[in-house]
Amino acid sequence: METFNALMSGFSVAMTMQNLMLGFIGVTLGTLVGVLPGVGPALTVALLLPATTGFDPTGALIMFAGIYYGAMYGGSTTSILLNTPGESATIMTALEGNMMAKRGRAGPALSTSAIGSFVAGTISVVMLTVVAPLVVDVAIKFGPAEYFAVMILAFVTVSTLLGASMARGLASLFFGLWIGLIGIDGQTGQPRFTMGIPELLDGIDVVVAAVGLFAVGETLYLATYLNKTVDKLEQVKGSIWMSKSDWARSWKPWLRGTFLGFPIGAMPAGGSEIPTFLSYSVEKKLSKHPEEFGKGAIEGVAGPEAANNASSTGTLAMLLTIGLPTSATAAIVLAAFQQYGLQPGPLLFETQPLLVWGLIASMYIGNVLLLILNLPLVGLWIRLLSIPRPLLYGGILIFATLGAYGLRNSWFDLLLLYIIGLIGFLMRRYDIPVAPTIVGMILGPVAEQQLRRALSISQGDMTIFITKPISASILALTAALVIVPIIVKRRQAKRAEAVPEPAAS
Amino acid sequence: MTSRSRINPGELMVSIALATLGIFVIAGTQDISAGGGYSQVGPRAFPYLIGAGLLILGGVLCWQAVSGGWRNVPMDENHEEPDWVAFAILSTGVVLHMASIAWAGFVLASTFLFTLVARGFGSRRLFRDIVVGLVLSTIAFFVFTRGLGLNLPSGLLGGL
Repeated sequence: METFNALMSGFSVAMTMQNLMLGFIGVTLGTLVGVLPGVGPALTVALLLPATTGFDPTGALIMFAGIYYGAMYGGSTTSILLNTPGESATIMTALEGNMMAKRGRAGPALSTSAIGSFVAGTISVVMLTVVAPLVVDVAIKFGPAEYFAVMILAFVTVSTLLGASMARGLASLFFGLWIGLIGIDGQTGQPRFTMGIPELLDGIDVVVAAVGLFAVGETLYLATYLNKTVDKLEQVKGSIWMSKSDWARSWKPWLRGTFLGFPIGAMPAGGSEIPTFLSYSVEKKLSKHPEEFGKGAIEGVAGPEAANNASSTGTLAMLLTIGLPTSATAAIVLAAFQQYGLQPGPLLFETQPLLVWGLIASMYIGNVLLLILNLPLVGLWIRLLSIPRPLLYGGILIFATLGAYGLRNSWFDLLLLYIIGLIGFLMRRYDIPVAPTIVGMILGPVAEQQLRRALSISQGDMTIFITKPISASILALTAALVIVPIIVKRRQAKRAEAVPEPAAS
Repeated sequence: MTSRSRINPGELMVSIALATLGIFVIAGTQDISAGGGYSQVGPRAFPYLIGAGLLILGGVLCWQAVSGGWRNVPMDENHEEPDWVAFAILSTGVVLHMASIAWAGFVLASTFLFTLVARGFGSRRLFRDIVVGLVLSTIAFFVFTRGLGLNLPSGLLGGL
């Protein structure tokens, strides 16, 4: 009942004209950047940070959240019609969805992903509403030691579970942690790693880092390596509505995807790739038409699409209740909270209940808006896909430089933007994931603060992290996550040596 | 599985750069004064950890690079023929934009950047690119300065 009242007061905040408008702008922008290849929600939120410092925090955060889950809706359109997943979360959608489009069934593929996203989005917001107060009850007891342990878990999972190589993921993480160190130390006022450059005293801004890595680095990479490739845009023929059998084959995958996506997105093991992969393989196993998989099975679109939407809500649940970002976009939304002097976490539910519940309520509304934007109006977004590449990337760089220069009108930020862009180019070229860098640079300073607090409480005794039960079990889990995959791989390698596998498997 | 016999010089260089950054971080940490005696852990502890981490990971990647290459790198034939001309055109655009934005103003500098980027991506329609770039940067200028209150230089077009 208490939760229900809180949610209702949240709706009264979300339903004000201004917040409805900002929510609408958020989900529209989200769909737009989800559809456009080369731009993602992380980049978009980062670009809007300097322009929204004067906004009311509630409205701005409603907009940013809208961009985040709106991009999940838009991304599927691109994967289905263009077969170039705009985001890693839509790789699975591209697999079956593009095959459906090739067989002239682009309409039902778009429908099942939009409706599935809506079903998953709405159910997972309900789950968020119910679960959040429970998590807050636990998290409110967290001290610095527990927080530090949770952050270590997030660092490790973000950099090792996603991506192909643990060493490269961790290298990316540590690079981000180092970037986070640059600037004045919050506790002692000491400048660190500023190399005597006064512009670096404030640290490297999240906007410059995120835009450099995502926009400049990506654009340089595409122009250098991929410009010769030609994308083939599938046409939408016939009705976009689903037939009776499409509905019958879709609704179970939607629900299963939702129940896979939300918890996995909420875990610090998060990310939206894992639940989409899981959902795909589950649907392939359970389907009555397994022979259609790989040739355009609708279940293979419905399940993963629901899963990636639910997981983005799960990630936001984690961010709101514990203050822990488990994806690059969530990390940048955390930076947005920090911009307003807010720290998401259990305390925020007590100090700013209207903001938190207003944000949650706005997600109910946002999902309805997104269903309208992405189903009857899908034709508008499809036209965006025919923007020629030179113009698209020219535009992306205009907004990238605008975001960096707009911070404080300094050419130095543009220089930094280019340098970070070059680093992003190299990371992309050598298959080093970018997300750990972003999470590291934003979460690093918070983690350091918690570490120093924990150790000053324990008077320098390092064992505090393993004598407290919660932090000890979180750290044990973290260690297991690193060690178990290594052991499994070693065993598999040994087995493969002993029994040579047949060449065609 | 792909096994490569030759060492990939790029991988080796990135690994060495990481390890060097680690050494630089550890050395730079010495210059941070330990701060007052209030807290048990001063401003040095965390940087030491990060420096050590970078050094170790750089070392591991170095070792991987010389023993069969980095692990699990997807084969990508697109990497065979890099278009360094496009890379240079884009880089020139970004650097010129940085040098000119303060006096030429946001709109002109951005139009120029847009045109160069489009050229880098292989566009041959110079006139179209200039017009689209000009329109786009003018809209962006007004939305962000008038609408969102951001401060951007109007430069040479300031009198208009």
